[in-house]
Amino acid sequence: MSNRVLPLPRSGGGKRPHAIYLAIGFPPAAKSSAYRLRETANQFVALGWDITVITICQEAWEREYGLDHTLSEKVDPRVKVVELPLIREDLETDIRAFSEERSLDPAGWIKRLRQREQKVFPEPVFGGWRYDLEQAVLRVHREHPADLLLASCAPYVNLAATWKLWEEHKVPYAVDFRDGWSLDVIGGGEAFTRDSVSGRWESKVLEHAVAVWCVNDPIAGFYRERYPHLADRVHVVRNGYDEDSLPDVSGRSPDPAAGLTFGYLGSVNFTPAFLESVLDGWRIARRDDPVLASSRFEVRGHIGAGPAREANRHMDLLKEAAVDGVSFGGPVPKADLAATYGSWDALVLMLVGGRFVTSGKVYEFMATGLPVLSAHDVDHDATNILAGHPLWTGAVGLDPHRLANSFSEAARMALKATDADRTAARRLARRFARPAVLGPAVRHLTELVRPTTAGDSAPAASTEDVQL
Amino acid sequence: MTTVLIVAATAPKQPAVLIEALERFRARGASVTVACFFNSADLPVDPALAEVRTFAVPGEKRDARLRKALGRAPANRKVWLHARRNAWLRQLYRKADLLVALDARAVHTVWEMAQRNTRAGAYYGLVPAQRALDARRPESVGRRLERQVSAAAGIGARGARRAATQTVRTTLRKATGQTVMSNPAGAWFWTRAVAAPRVPDRFRSKLAVRLHDSAVKAGRPAVAARAASAAVSRISSAGTRADVLTKAAQAELALGRVPTGLHDAIRAQLALADSLLPRDSKKAAAAVSRAWSLASNRVLHFDRLSSPMSEDPGAFLAPFRESTAARKLSAKRGRLAPAAPVPADRPLRLLVTTLINDNFLQEILERYRAMPNVEVRFLDLYDDPVTRPLALSGSTVMEHLLAGESSYGAKIEEWLRPHLDWADTVFVDWCQATAALFTLHDPGTARIIVRLHSFEAFNFWPHLVDFSRVDDVVFVSEHLKDLSTAVLPQLTEADGPRLHVIDNAMDLQRYPRSKPADARFTLGMVGFSSVAKDPRWAIEVLRRLRERDERYRLTLIGSDFNNRTSKPAKDYGKLFSKDLAELEPLGAVRRYGQTDDVPAALQEVGIILSASVRESFHCGLVEGAASGAVPVVRDWPFFAGKPHGARSLFPADWVVATPEEAAERILAATATEERWAEAGRAASEHVLKTWDWTVTQSGYDRLLLDD
Repeated sequence: MSNRVLPLPRSGGGKRPHAIYLAIGFPPAAKSSAYRLRETANQFVALGWDITVITICQEAWEREYGLDHTLSEKVDPRVKVVELPLIREDLETDIRAFSEERSLDPAGWIKRLRQREQKVFPEPVFGGWRYDLEQAVLRVHREHPADLLLASCAPYVNLAATWKLWEEHKVPYAVDFRDGWSLDVIGGGEAFTRDSVSGRWESKVLEHAVAVWCVNDPIAGFYRERYPHLADRVHVVRNGYDEDSLPDVSGRSPDPAAGLTFGYLGSVNFTPAFLESVLDGWRIARRDDPVLASSRFEVRGHIGAGPAREANRHMDLLKEAAVDGVSFGGPVPKADLAATYGSWDALVLMLVGGRFVTSGKVYEFMATGLPVLSAHDVDHDATNILAGHPLWTGAVGLDPHRLANSFSEAARMALKATDADRTAARRLARRFARPAVLGPAVRHLTELVRPTTAGDSAPAASTEDVQL
Repeated sequence: MTTVLIVAATAPKQPAVLIEALERFRARGASVTVACFFNSADLPVDPALAEVRTFAVPGEKRDARLRKALGRAPANRKVWLHARRNAWLRQLYRKADLLVALDARAVHTVWEMAQRNTRAGAYYGLVPAQRALDARRPESVGRRLERQVSAAAGIGARGARRAATQTVRTTLRKATGQTVMSNPAGAWFWTRAVAAPRVPDRFRSKLAVRLHDSAVKAGRPAVAARAASAAVSRISSAGTRADVLTKAAQAELALGRVPTGLHDAIRAQLALADSLLPRDSKKAAAAVSRAWSLASNRVLHFDRLSSPMSEDPGAFLAPFRESTAARKLSAKRGRLAPAAPVPADRPLRLLVTTLINDNFLQEILERYRAMPNVEVRFLDLYDDPVTRPLALSGSTVMEHLLAGESSYGAKIEEWLRPHLDWADTVFVDWCQATAALFTLHDPGTARIIVRLHSFEAFNFWPHLVDFSRVDDVVFVSEHLKDLSTAVLPQLTEADGPRLHVIDNAMDLQRYPRSKPADARFTLGMVGFSSVAKDPRWAIEVLRRLRERDERYRLTLIGSDFNNRTSKPAKDYGKLFSKDLAELEPLGAVRRYGQTDDVPAALQEVGIILSASVRESFHCGLVEGAASGAVPVVRDWPFFAGKPHGARSLFPADWVVATPEEAAERILAATATEERWAEAGRAASEHVLKTWDWTVTQSGYDRLLLDD
């Protein structure tokens, strides 16, 4: 890897370097990416940086994923957070705030809004935030000159603000691409061509990035292939799990007569057909397996947004399955995660996509030490992560009959698992603890932009599982 | 107690979700009413949870005012127009604490209710409404007063604006209508107004289309053309220009006329395509496709008694020959290897392929299937429902040809490559989609033969065929060869395909049968369902004959006239129906109907007519002649006076120029029973020794089996 050493510092004579972190979804947003964003910011502070996080206002998250103030408790108090008054207009549900035009044709109004947004920046929903974000980074930089900008995507409109600061002040930047932009992680192909408007934006911004982070090897491979001359700047920085989310699972001995509790925690962002397959598998398993017949399946997380919040086909399916012991309990605050996991005997890992998708929850699921039942494509990156997990049923795809066998297998594991099995599972997951993943990544970034001063207070973290 | 009014415009897709929400509302002590714009019986809800009532005004109770308002209101406003008429609902929404729209169509109704009840919360969706109920805080008097004032002012202002807008729209519609445009002063005014400076393109284009439409309907095509042309000269966007001209041309075509601005519209679309080609081949393909759609419109070629294509192909197609994008569609891409010779060591593998129509293939298939030295496969691209859509979209083929590669092209390759790999010879019947698809990719060493009948020459498909990948083109007559080579000059280039004229394969032996004596006075036509067959010409011949002898009658064999294809076909159909209404009761015309036994139907026909304006060969006439009927052939106007046509195809005494001539020939040929029988026998002998399959098959043997 080549270290691109840039002429720094530019922090206006301050002793601590300053980073602007475009992190839309930062706590208290109850969004799955909030953990990664929080840990990244904390790692910068730990490495001696001043950091200013730019995100959007809390009201915006109330409309979408909701708020979880317990998430903010673990944000280092030295992290400065700037909340911009940006909000998704399409998710407005107060009809008094609607214009007559919108009330007459809600869908048409949103379609026209999307067109306007994409004229500003080629990203539906968020494109219209471009100028506010650009002004925000320039303002923050004026007030406290930055040595580095880190943009976490999505939304990709962050790239416009990143470019603006580079164009006007040549502030070096890195992009935490997570799932990537030009890659269709679900379908597996190219999301847009290089000569499209989005393609031109992506290649322009990545050209000068000091580093580009992705969450797994297939995505990194896609980018290295797409931009061969940037290959050494593309790094895998995986998602991870938080120790304080983990339940105490030692000394368990579930009673088969009382049945077991299976759980899923996360956004219900898959198709109704996907959910139907899993529920059908669950029903078959209950019919054929006496332990499952007396067991429960709890689904927790966010379903739908705006007017469709908890009022879509998924909700109907879950309600129909209530007679089969299935229940929906809404989102879980971060502070209650450990207790929620602790109340379950096995976890159902429902994931969309394939080899390009890892998702954050796979790390947390495996780190709980509970049996994990995979409900996703066989050729999925989660399969690579879970390989070797002693309490994993394996991935069998989405055929209900095969999923039914997995439910039975997970039940058998839950009843027979020993403390040694659970400890082994946790040990396997340990390399994905967030500090272990993000510490080296932030340290490396620090070295790139401030090669001589970084690292004095860096936490000791193994880099063996983090591919830089 | 909190009062909640939920408005549902459509039956909820998630009834369980609604029931649960109602339970939550009840748990909070709220009284809930669900007002439905559909039958409340479709939403079974426990009355203890909520009252469910319908507010749609039944059809019989809608007065003229409501009907008029509903007629012009947008879909979502219609729901409100019903709601405001309902007394119980008015009472309810005025006192409700919380108004909830359950679906998108109900949002406007709740929005209007919220303007009239400024105290209530108004939400879209059940969960947002529940949250609002939980977080409900009393509002300050000042805030509420402010909202009341602004809502009341808004209601008044919107009402006035709506009335004003409606008045302006009505006035404008009348001012630009047919009456005004048929008046020279009105036409003068609007032709200048539409070209006034500084009018935004989108308004100018809408006005231009409206004025053109009114002028055409008023029977003033020249005024229409002037208005469109004046507007277009001021429009800066090439896309809008092309759009205005195309809409104007389409409006005239819909009225069954040849548009005055047809070529302007075609040229505008092609200019747009050429400008788009370097940067957006998809949009360029769409523009070329629109140009071809105008040029191939059936009103121009099939539903009238003439066609600009047959009159002067070069002039008609000139815009396409000048366009880079259109030329690219038929650009030669060549083949990597020449077609392999007929194999000597194994049977020839012959793939016979078509799209839907296999009417002219039966004899060919039968003959070569019976030959031990030929292995035959038949492929109808329409048969497989999965791949069928790939063969039905010309615009997608254009997209592929302009882009050079596409996922569509890959699918065609995957579909047809195994057939190309298997076949030594591919015989493509009809020069349409099948020919374009089989030449989309390199055919390897397979020999490609394409047979062009007639309609294709007027269509866009041959222009998507890469003839550098075609080895032989077969025409069914010399005059179609003449027309096709004028339409497709690449056919006659030095490196073009070999051209053949081979007669249609017809088994005529089954037609000669004895005829009753009174068949002498029966004229017959096989096929009369389209304008091109011009059955009214036959009626005209019949009328002239009946003036002299009322024993003459006409039997029409085949499916009925189809007047649904276009306005001209409808107009023609009306006149034809009048003819039938007059002549059928007299027994002068009989519609025999569709039959599988044409030889039997022809037994009662003593004179067989070809009244068509164009034919490639006219099998029905030849079959009639084979039966022993005396043939009378109109000199097909599309080809009359040209080197080849009906006169060069048939014996000279068969062909006539006018209905009068036809009547004379018939009277002469049927003057006596003996004369009629002799003329019929001679015609039958001629067709059997000229066009029977036992004679013509040698042409196909030479084509398919000789090297």
